[in-house]
Amino acid sequence: MAEKKRIVVGGWFDLPRLGTEVFSALVRKQGVVYEKSTGFKFDSGTDLQGAVRTLRSAGVDVELTLRCWICGKEACPGCPYLQSCDRASVSSFCLCADHSPEKSVFGEYARTFDVNLKG
Amino acid sequence: MWSEKYRPSRLDQLIGNEDARLVLSLWLSKWKPGTKAALLVGPPGTGKTTFVNLLARADGMNLVDLNASDVRTKEKLQRRMGEAMSTVSLFGERSLIFLDEVDGLAGRADLGAVEFIKESVKESQNPIVMAANDPDSDEIKKLSSSCMTVRFRPPPPREVEMYLREVARGEGLAVGDEELRALVIEAAGDVRQAINLLQSTQNAPREEGRGRYKDKDRTVSEAFNGFFGAADKGEALASLRDLSMSPFEKVREVQRSVVKSGLPPGAMAKALETVSRADLLIGKMMKAGDWRLLRYLDRLFAEELFPVVKGMGVKYAGQDDLPFPVLVRVWNDSKKVREVSVKYAAKAHTSGMSARSQDLPYVFALCSKKKFREDLERALGLDADPDLLQSYDRFLQKEAAR
Repeated sequence: MAEKKRIVVGGWFDLPRLGTEVFSALVRKQGVVYEKSTGFKFDSGTDLQGAVRTLRSAGVDVELTLRCWICGKEACPGCPYLQSCDRASVSSFCLCADHSPEKSVFGEYARTFDVNLKG
Repeated sequence: MWSEKYRPSRLDQLIGNEDARLVLSLWLSKWKPGTKAALLVGPPGTGKTTFVNLLARADGMNLVDLNASDVRTKEKLQRRMGEAMSTVSLFGERSLIFLDEVDGLAGRADLGAVEFIKESVKESQNPIVMAANDPDSDEIKKLSSSCMTVRFRPPPPREVEMYLREVARGEGLAVGDEELRALVIEAAGDVRQAINLLQSTQNAPREEGRGRYKDKDRTVSEAFNGFFGAADKGEALASLRDLSMSPFEKVREVQRSVVKSGLPPGAMAKALETVSRADLLIGKMMKAGDWRLLRYLDRLFAEELFPVVKGMGVKYAGQDDLPFPVLVRVWNDSKKVREVSVKYAAKAHTSGMSARSQDLPYVFALCSKKKFREDLERALGLDADPDLLQSYDRFLQKEAAR
């Protein structure tokens, strides 16, 4: 039975040993970031759909979850679009329940970009 | 159009691809000669071109914008890019060189263009950004070793909803959560499409109720009227680009609207000349199978037709308001028209559809001459059965009389 792995996009995660072929496909072909001390990470250069496919074919069933751009918390729990959103094909950040669109957060969202750019 | 009114004018007003925007902004701020170029990869409509334009603006840089599929050979690229790559202003101000659609180099011999780009990246005195839709093309794989690849993806639905709410707030609208979410799902990550859908729901009569934003005819009419009534070429171009319609239909609808417009003869001639050029462009595209030519269609209308029709009160001629009575017969798929078009297509080495929509209106008009009609009947083999011949002859005479 396939192992279920929950991965936060943009966060570090570990993987069981999957062999050099899978490692090479993930890191060289699909642009997954790897550091020995911290593990793996999906970032803006990662082919997310390809990486998820590779992991699934290696027996690791992946469930992706996005982080809130404003506060960094996990954004997917309780999202009304959970069923319709393909998280492997959308960009890496989203909005959490505390910063949901109903709360007119666009100003805060835009400011976060400026803050991160300067920081 | 709200999609134009609410087009982002600053980097922080974009939504989605937050990490990609940050990485690229930092790359540009730290760029020095010898730094790798940036390669933006992602499906159309994810904001790559808009981002690069805003990036250059944010850094006060001059944007040198080239479409790679227009300049395929090394010599052409050298001519267009050479000066931009080696020139820095007296005050050290740099330009941002943007090569869009570099995957357009793939598929045919690129005649040294990819190697030239790879070399240029090392030597350029100005930063180079490239954009591509297809990350798997061979040319992109060749380029990726000398580039920092950044992926652009559609924004998640919640962020699209946030932007729609911002637009709704700007327009003073109260839209229900459920209706807004239906629009977001319908737009499938395309922000411009989401805004257009929102606008179409609000412009529709109230009594039509939910689902009215799916009214295709109204959207078509809005887009064409948006084009004819635009304030400038940019708005005209955006109106046509928002329109999801086959290029043949687009040209046909523009032609019908122009013919029905009552423009003065000089302007009418100029407008129809452009329509004719658009028709030739599509013919060339079909003949060569070169679908990239399609991108010039809207631009041709915006650059050449729009200045002629601007302020002339041209309106979209609705689907049921045909300009040429003869076209009614051609498009109504009557049995005889289909039969004649199939026979004609076989003789003229064209498709049945092309015969019906392009040739037969004129052929039918010429059938008012008895000699022409008889020659046509013989050429198409309509004279094989005397009874049928009589029936076809009556039909052709009737069409000619229209």
